[in-house]
Amino acid sequence: MTGGALSDVKVLDLMWVMAGPAATRMLADHGATVVRIESTRRIDTARTLAPFFDAVPGPERSGCFQNLNVGKRMLTLDPTTPAGRGVFLDLVRWADVVTESFAPGTMARWGLDWPVLRGVKPDLVMVSSCLMGQTGPLAGFAGYGNLAAAISGFSNLGGWPDRPPAGPFSAYTDYVSPRFLAVAILAALEHRRRTGEGQLVDLSQAEASLHFLGPALLDRQVNGRTMTRRGNRDPELTPHGVYPAAGRDRWIAIAVDGDAAFAALCAVLERPALAADARFATRDARHAHTDALDEAVAAATAAHDMHDLAGRLQAAGVAAHAVQNSAELLADPQLRHREHFVAVPHPERETVTLENARFRLSRTPAAVRGPAPTWGADTDWVLRTLLGYDDARITELVAAGALE
Amino acid sequence: MLSALRVVDLTDHRGLLCGQILGDLGADVIHVEPPGGSPARRLGPFHGDVVHPDRSLFWWAFTRNQRSVTLDVAHPPGREALARLLETADFLVDSAPPGTLADAGLDPATVAATHPRLVHVSITAFGQTGPKAGWAGADIVLLAAGGPLILTGDADRPPVRLPVPQAWLHAGADAAVGAMIAHHARMRSGHGQHVDVSAQQSVALATQSYILAAAFDAPEVQRAAGGLTMGAVSVRLLFPAKDGHVAITFLFGSAIGPFSRRLMEWIHEEGGCDAATRDKDWLRYSQLLLSDEEPLAEFERVKAVIAAFTAARPKAELLAAALARGLLIAPVSTLGEVLASPQLAAREYWQPLDHPELGTTVRYPGAFARFEASPLRWRRRPPRVGEHTDEVLGGELGLDVATLRARGAV
Repeated sequence: MTGGALSDVKVLDLMWVMAGPAATRMLADHGATVVRIESTRRIDTARTLAPFFDAVPGPERSGCFQNLNVGKRMLTLDPTTPAGRGVFLDLVRWADVVTESFAPGTMARWGLDWPVLRGVKPDLVMVSSCLMGQTGPLAGFAGYGNLAAAISGFSNLGGWPDRPPAGPFSAYTDYVSPRFLAVAILAALEHRRRTGEGQLVDLSQAEASLHFLGPALLDRQVNGRTMTRRGNRDPELTPHGVYPAAGRDRWIAIAVDGDAAFAALCAVLERPALAADARFATRDARHAHTDALDEAVAAATAAHDMHDLAGRLQAAGVAAHAVQNSAELLADPQLRHREHFVAVPHPERETVTLENARFRLSRTPAAVRGPAPTWGADTDWVLRTLLGYDDARITELVAAGALE
Repeated sequence: MLSALRVVDLTDHRGLLCGQILGDLGADVIHVEPPGGSPARRLGPFHGDVVHPDRSLFWWAFTRNQRSVTLDVAHPPGREALARLLETADFLVDSAPPGTLADAGLDPATVAATHPRLVHVSITAFGQTGPKAGWAGADIVLLAAGGPLILTGDADRPPVRLPVPQAWLHAGADAAVGAMIAHHARMRSGHGQHVDVSAQQSVALATQSYILAAAFDAPEVQRAAGGLTMGAVSVRLLFPAKDGHVAITFLFGSAIGPFSRRLMEWIHEEGGCDAATRDKDWLRYSQLLLSDEEPLAEFERVKAVIAAFTAARPKAELLAAALARGLLIAPVSTLGEVLASPQLAAREYWQPLDHPELGTTVRYPGAFARFEASPLRWRRRPPRVGEHTDEVLGGELGLDVATLRARGAV
């Protein structure tokens, strides 16, 4: 099977910003032909998001956009123009899957919603992804993953009990939901393979992401207890947290599971007094004196190099790691070994460094199959190769303003 | 959708979500637990705070739609029973540290040789190979290793994680994608394969591509509570409300700038700012800040204006305005508010499952997606330890469970 596990899968992708493109990126990595449609009249928000090349903003300079769209084909098309609509419907006939992540009702307003598309292609799989779902009183609530993270309970939980919420970073549900979205697409394709039946799938980013809060939701439900912010405390493990290391804003994360690991921690930190302290002799005792313990551990870690200390703790059987920023991630020997970063050709910059596929398949390995698409880079290829249009037809489309 | 397929799930707390997703899709997921039950069952909280393997809410959260079999795979009779079970399986999912399943003949190479059609998914902290393959993972350690942790928390305190562990869930969800991709490949080629999931790499998705900052010669992001700092500019995404907090996507540029403009128009209408503040160029505002045309102190003043405005209004009023005016504002919900959400109620999100053993019914998080033609069903409550040992090993495989039991294998 050349070209990847999904080389027989054709996706017409109208999803934009982060969650949707992250999902179809996984499919493209594994060989699916993903044709993204973007209108220059309404550019993808991801193009406005950092990091940018040399910290200079620009629509073709966004690392966020490149990282989520590498390996896809890009057609600039305005499907709301009469001529653009014809191209769009031809692509629906070509595709196995159509994906979109506009505010609910947008496709209907364009006359391109499920009943219309199914009429064009009876066994089509269509996946609509939005913040809250296609129905319900908040269906019209459109926006970004930071809003879904807030309304789904994530943002209130991150941070310190004595401070306002710090939340998980930025648009958290945009990082959770892409996996559910990719699974939904593949499952609907599996259903079609077995039954011949296409269908519409409605994925609410909030609903999918709530599975990442499962135990706390059940605790509230069953025991009436509401989880709130608690810093880095853990109900099972102690010491547990982020402790200072040598240097400015340098930290090491340590999670100690059991008496043997605690003894190993004290030995590596050369703090025999800590190991002998009755307040820290058992797990329950350590939990009862967590503040004093955290303070003692922080005092002991502060002079150490975070990478060196993490390596020695791991060698002694203690879970620990340096808290890495992007420079340290880029240099991380494990991520290098895993080829987590990959140099990808770029029309204007020779190559750019992006993330590779996150998981490995032994027989059908993922591969980045081309650069991140610049505007209109594949318009000609899509129209000629996929749709078989000739020069005259393409000239007409250009004249009609459909390819903008 | 996967009802014809069987999953043998050997994972513990590090990999439960993968099997649950496949089970939600209809697969017959058989969780193979060590005698006494999975270590995941020792994680709290517990139903009624009674510490018992059948009452772990952590276990409940990730094992519905599954059956449970206990087997001691460290010993030959248990191993033979597992081999029989694997002959009937389409997927094998494990979360054992690299190399530790070799003695049981369940390492990737042996499984590939003995069960060539099987899709074998392994979820580990750092992946199967590499200098850190033997390193121990824990939620906070993996978030540190993969990049999200440094981005999260108050600027004047250590980085901070969510109190509900997330790292293994990112890995488990990626594992489900990998399993589905490998299944698709198997349907085309007839061959199974191994899927090697590294939690470190999975959590890196939660950096919003800021993991590339160094590679792009862009500055590192500095954490800021409810926002982020880039260079001298601090973006704020969480604001106070009269009864808590709200999230606002207060950003700029051609796509988000118009929303910020509408927010400032509302604030001006209500007397919260002057016309000059309202009429700033919100589309080009980032460039104005970067080029010093707009002093940073002025941006700080604008954020304070917004905070004063939202602090005087309850979350519900701010959400209603967001819907009516097309603004990017959402309430920062407590878990109680999430469970009481009219939106989730209208969509009948919560799914009741009977727990007859406890005489109770529990509402579980519902379908991760609505499939029009093949809806996801909540068929089974999470299984008690070894609840289906006789049914599966005896009834379906025809093994002599009494003898296995006598030999200590189940």
